[in-house]
Amino acid sequence: MSLLSVENLEVSYGDFQAVRGASLELEAGQTIAIIGANGAGKSTLLNAIVGLNSQKRGTVRFDGQDITHLRTDRIARAGITMVPEGRRLFGTLTVEDNLMVGLAAERPGPWTIEAIYQLFPRLGELRSMVAGSLSGGQQQMVSIGRALMTNPRVLLCDEISLGLAPKVIGDIYRCFDAITASGVSVVLIEQNVVQACAASGYVYCMLEGRISLEGRPQDLTRAEITAAYFGTEVRT
Amino acid sequence: MIWLETIANGIFLGGLYALIGLGLGFAFGVMRVVNVAQGDFIVAAAFIGLFLYPWTPVHPILVIIPVAVVAFLIGMALQWLLVNRVLGHDQIPQILLTFGLAIVLRNGMVAGFGANSQSIDVGEMRFWGFDFLGLRLGVLPALVLVIAIVLFAALHLWLHRSRLGRLIRATADDYQIVQLQGVNYRKVYAVAMGLAMALSAVAGVLLAMRGSFTPYSGSDRLLIAFEVVVIGGLGSFWGMFLGGMVLGVTQLIALKLDPTSGLMYGHIVFFIILILSPNGLAGAFRNAVFRK
Ligand SMILES: Nc1ncnc2c1ncn2[C@@H]1O[C@H](COP(=O)(O)OP(=O)(O)OP(=O)(O)O)[C@@H](O)[C@H]1O
Ligand SMILES: [Mg+2]
Repeated sequence: MSLLSVENLEVSYGDFQAVRGASLELEAGQTIAIIGANGAGKSTLLNAIVGLNSQKRGTVRFDGQDITHLRTDRIARAGITMVPEGRRLFGTLTVEDNLMVGLAAERPGPWTIEAIYQLFPRLGELRSMVAGSLSGGQQQMVSIGRALMTNPRVLLCDEISLGLAPKVIGDIYRCFDAITASGVSVVLIEQNVVQACAASGYVYCMLEGRISLEGRPQDLTRAEITAAYFGTEVRT
Repeated sequence: MIWLETIANGIFLGGLYALIGLGLGFAFGVMRVVNVAQGDFIVAAAFIGLFLYPWTPVHPILVIIPVAVVAFLIGMALQWLLVNRVLGHDQIPQILLTFGLAIVLRNGMVAGFGANSQSIDVGEMRFWGFDFLGLRLGVLPALVLVIAIVLFAALHLWLHRSRLGRLIRATADDYQIVQLQGVNYRKVYAVAMGLAMALSAVAGVLLAMRGSFTPYSGSDRLLIAFEVVVIGGLGSFWGMFLGGMVLGVTQLIALKLDPTSGLMYGHIVFFIILILSPNGLAGAFRNAVFRK
């Protein structure tokens, strides 16, 4: 049985249905990626999993439990958290205070303040800086660190590479080896197909609210992905 | 000399005004809720003080402690049972709710206690004075200022040093995201509203000790609170303190010049500051210091 399974999830904003029946599975220890163009519904799907969007149908199961309608803070305490799109740090708090907020989940585990500073040594030097004053890459590290402080079993990451320089993106993705090695299962949202395929063992492609393609990166051809991503016909 | 004394007394009064504003400003800063009932809660706290002070040991002024505790519990219950139900992007339901509460509370107090003017008697202390740099000043007004400063500083330290204070600041920054860290923001809001109420209640009791009040005093109190918060520059902590000072000093100087003016000149100064610097004094300060 998978650790996290989403069955036929439909999510709406008022009359507009942004996710139209999406299903996916995440096994323990696995990293999967969701790719898709702007507006495909990727963020809406992740937000619905963690309960930040309540207008939904379908089922989300975590470790065998139905968590579809659980409150976000309860889901976080159960072991699923998210690195939100756009980082969303607590801008007036220091780096260290941002990280410490994660202690509220009351989930002991390998990720402590020291472990986060070991993963991102730069954050240790910036610990007493106000988070809002950091560069984009540093903010993304804080956002990831803050999520890890809850010692999640499942970490959802919404476009962590957005707006960052390639070198910084590389640095951040390299840290995911240590994160998965600690036992965390990861769902990555990426617009960057190459990055997504390199970092994950299974890829879902979303198009207009539906899963248009899925498979192991090595089994998918470039043409298939392009078609599923942009919604054009595959030419054979 | 008489002017220096007036200014000193204005500063004492300003500390109390700052405290009146602090509850409203803190609640707004954390929850973006404008609690229109705050003024009437301040009066209700004075009535609770009136009821409790004969039983207060050591000295009547210590009645602020039990009143603060009661107000904290009322604030928590108010947020938990009522305001949390109408939270959302739309501010109107919150304003309507607290406005309705204000009306119920005011009329309830009139029905229960009558419309007569009341005061909390602190005994001899009311007449004590002390000399400072040649000025003759009142002990009670000075003590009220000290209490205000202590409460401002204590709240500031608590917000920055304690675990719960950190959660309150984080929730104020982004109430959606704190949930991803396992925080139930509705609980945080309840604590914040409890604190806001406790601070307002202390202000209400101190006002009732320095002067008098009726069940109708709420709207004056609310107006002062609004002006303090807006002059201070919404949500700026020490800006609010300054805002209280500006109102207090203006009012007492004006009263010296024109004994029938009441709060009018305070309102006029508020109006002028609002026109000159819509972001309040803190905004004007930021502009002056960080101008390119
Ligand atoms: N709060 C909202 N209210 C109404 N519609 C929304 C809201 N948020 C998103 N949408 C719409 O839902 C659709 C899916 O948006 P979503 O943010 O999930 O896409 P996405 O795949 O994450 O895109 P991106 O790569 O740009 O982040 C879009 O058409 C978007 O316009
Ligand atoms: Mg998105």
